[in-house]
Amino acid sequence: MITLSIDTKTIQVAPDTNVLKAALDNGIHIPHLCYHPELSISGGCRLCLVEVEGQDQPVLSCGLTAAEGMVIQTQSEQLKELRRGVLDLFISDHPLDCVVCDKAGSCTLQEYAYEYGLKETSYEPTVSSTLFQDDNPFFLRDHQYCILCGRCVRVCDEIVGVHAIDFANRGFETNIATPYDGPMIDSTCVFCGNCVQVCPTAALMPVSRLQRGREWDLDRTLSVCGYCGVGCQIEYATKDDDIIYAQAPEHGTANGPFLCTKGRYGWDFATNPERLKQPMLRRDVAHELGLSEEPWELPETSPLDIRKPNVEQYFVPVDWDTALEFVSSRLSEITESHGPDSIMGLASARCTNEDNYLFQKFMRAVIGTNNVDHCARL
Amino acid sequence: MTNSIREIRDADCIFITGSNTAEAHPVISYEVVRAVKKGAHLIIIDPRRIPLVDHATLFLQPHPGTDIYVFLAMMHVIIREGWMDETFIAERTEDYDAFAVILEGYTPERAALASGVPEEKIIQAARWYALGERAHGESIYGEAHGHSTILYAMGITQRSNGTDNVLTLANLSMLCGQIGKPSTGVNPLRGQANVQGACDVGGLVNVLPGYQQVTDDKLRGETAKTWEVEKLPCNVGLTIVESTHAALAGEVHAIYVMGENPLMSDPNSNHVEQAFRKLDLLIVQDIFPSETAYLAHVLLPAASSLEKDGTFTNTERRVQRIRKVISSPGEALADWAIIADIAARVTQKLDRKPGPEAWKYDSASSIFDELTLVTPIYSGMSYDRLEPSGLQWPCPSETHPGTPILHVDTFARGQGKFHAVEARDPAEMTDEEYPLTLTTGRVLYHYHSGTMTRRSAPLHWREPRGYAEINPQDAEALGLKDGFAVIIHSRRGTVRTKTKISDGVPPGTVFLAFHWREAPANRLTQDHTLDPVAKIPEYKISAIRLENPRAR
Repeated sequence: MITLSIDTKTIQVAPDTNVLKAALDNGIHIPHLCYHPELSISGGCRLCLVEVEGQDQPVLSCGLTAAEGMVIQTQSEQLKELRRGVLDLFISDHPLDCVVCDKAGSCTLQEYAYEYGLKETSYEPTVSSTLFQDDNPFFLRDHQYCILCGRCVRVCDEIVGVHAIDFANRGFETNIATPYDGPMIDSTCVFCGNCVQVCPTAALMPVSRLQRGREWDLDRTLSVCGYCGVGCQIEYATKDDDIIYAQAPEHGTANGPFLCTKGRYGWDFATNPERLKQPMLRRDVAHELGLSEEPWELPETSPLDIRKPNVEQYFVPVDWDTALEFVSSRLSEITESHGPDSIMGLASARCTNEDNYLFQKFMRAVIGTNNVDHCARL
Repeated sequence: MTNSIREIRDADCIFITGSNTAEAHPVISYEVVRAVKKGAHLIIIDPRRIPLVDHATLFLQPHPGTDIYVFLAMMHVIIREGWMDETFIAERTEDYDAFAVILEGYTPERAALASGVPEEKIIQAARWYALGERAHGESIYGEAHGHSTILYAMGITQRSNGTDNVLTLANLSMLCGQIGKPSTGVNPLRGQANVQGACDVGGLVNVLPGYQQVTDDKLRGETAKTWEVEKLPCNVGLTIVESTHAALAGEVHAIYVMGENPLMSDPNSNHVEQAFRKLDLLIVQDIFPSETAYLAHVLLPAASSLEKDGTFTNTERRVQRIRKVISSPGEALADWAIIADIAARVTQKLDRKPGPEAWKYDSASSIFDELTLVTPIYSGMSYDRLEPSGLQWPCPSETHPGTPILHVDTFARGQGKFHAVEARDPAEMTDEEYPLTLTTGRVLYHYHSGTMTRRSAPLHWREPRGYAEINPQDAEALGLKDGFAVIIHSRRGTVRTKTKISDGVPPGTVFLAFHWREAPANRLTQDHTLDPVAKIPEYKISAIRLENPRAR
């Protein structure tokens, strides 16, 4: 281990740790925009400057490897002025419309502008020549807000491995683009939205989030994705019982701060109007029970061949008691007449342990059969 | 998984087979990409040129169904060259000799003939895996040999010799001592949010919660005692596919389906449909009216996983809390609440002991507490202990920290057993009438039978309709171009879809995902020859023929 001192605090870190990481891991905050703990070092934002004892000039802490006995200062008048200068440049071509910005409250640039007391730029404000691109329903790219930190480029290449975007053009014209600036869908993009997650500003925003409430109005619930078996932790931001957007928590157990496209964007099925909202009995069953007047017969058309399925053509809604009484009577009758092994239960890999536990307990302890399986093989 | 997801990034050599990781388990593919960027070797053995091949340092593309020849030949080479871990074999395993004898006949020459994979690639893969070699950079483990990990999924298991395939991968890992240490192991990537948990808590025909055999009188007696029931059934039950056969034979009269869509997801859909139509009672408890629902007598509306509390167990055996994020629509209820109500009523009607009061649960957490009493691998867990990052089973006591890596000092059965496995051909080989091989699976933007993802607006926008991936050679032979209609015939049925002409599949192989109700892949798959042990259907290999409707 390497021992160094940061702001008079003695810290031990593993060899090859950079000073910024050493500080952040030990609760000492050094401002940074391009650095991300899961990505390679870029050093482009110039904000994480620190003073190193024995060196004349401030040094970028993200690119400085901690060495034995190193003495670091992260706060001083000189550093404050330097950082103010950097931030002044950043906001000179970044709209200061925080009053209407959806990112306000979770924007890192806004946070630092506040911290360093920058209300406006001392330069002539200039706006990026590239406008926003809304070519997909997953996320919006608004280049005016982009500070070219490159986190999105690095996450796309280093973590997701698809390298759909990179820096294009030069100087003030630099922007983040797909090859030839084509639509996202024509690139190698897999719409995982990890670029959105690591973006420190409003340059990349989930479409579902736009104009749906300020950050501080949203409730957050930590849960686990319902799709594949990786078990990514997801933080759902909600307002008035609606999901506004989803993102990975900072330290997801299996997933770190990353997700895939289904986890991040595939939650809207929950509010699809086709959801089953009431128990229902098939029309012939309902007729048999005297709950519907018209006789009915199950059509011979395969459900796979019904062009536009309409559940109401086949079923009538009933109350829970009717449905549960029907189910339990029929299950009891069949158990008695044909024996427990004439009943099969299919549990579910999409239901919880609690659901499945009760399901198999019901089949085994009440019905009396081991005919309980689920889609593990499918 | 024997090991944990976050160890993959530190592996020296990653061996992926039968897993389209970047599409089916994208977040695990991120771990693989990280490892490769740091210098790990990535060996992929797959009939399809899956997206992760872009990052592979070695890609072996066997003909469908011949991968086992490659695995056996790798082990043949490892023994021939002395790359095996003799200490591990001597100290930790048994039945090595019988296994090694069988390998003598599985030379790389033979494998190359059977699979089409060049011998040199088989030898290269064997060396890199056995010795844990890297492409560049240094191993964080600093040992004589690097750490190699095997990742696999349904490409290995959904086969009539799926069990043999898995045993072969286990043999490979033991042969090289690449198990029981960080960034090693045999790691099945499980496909559904709680497929691991559903197995753990007894959603299987042969085991009670915690993998306790139903045929074991003592274990069954203990569970019966905790549940306060007189006795529990002792015969192994029917698996999914067996139950449809039994329904057709008039032996099964009722099926209670919770959160599944067998009409889309089970093999030979036409057969499944006939079976379901014969039932006296089909109960479907789901969040949507699935295709299966249209054959049901009754539909029970359930809460989705976004709408309830509970736990999921992920592929690395980690039990994690899920929480209610939003309310359920209408009168939908959590599955456990529906089951508990039905169970109480049936208990009453059949006059079962200990009576309906036993089915009064006030929360998911009270069910979990009961579950831990009968599930030894979960017995040290509670909702409190699952904060903040869950626990990996086995977790046998309240102070146990969970188990990130299995088989560290000893295997579950004591010594690791080498199984002498021979190669076997798929159940349905191509012939003159059905000259192509169909393989099924998933695409990135959809999940399983599509019930959820096809109702998600952004995912639907990205991948709105089904297609069959066809190699340019096969397409040209039939005059098919990209986006043309194509009809796929198998001995079970016919599916019409659009083509996607792609080098992702080799000549002779067609890929069709099983998400598309308008092109249901499982009308084509066979249900007659299952894996004899796991009873898993051979979704990955069916003989088919293509028809170009324009050529009629």
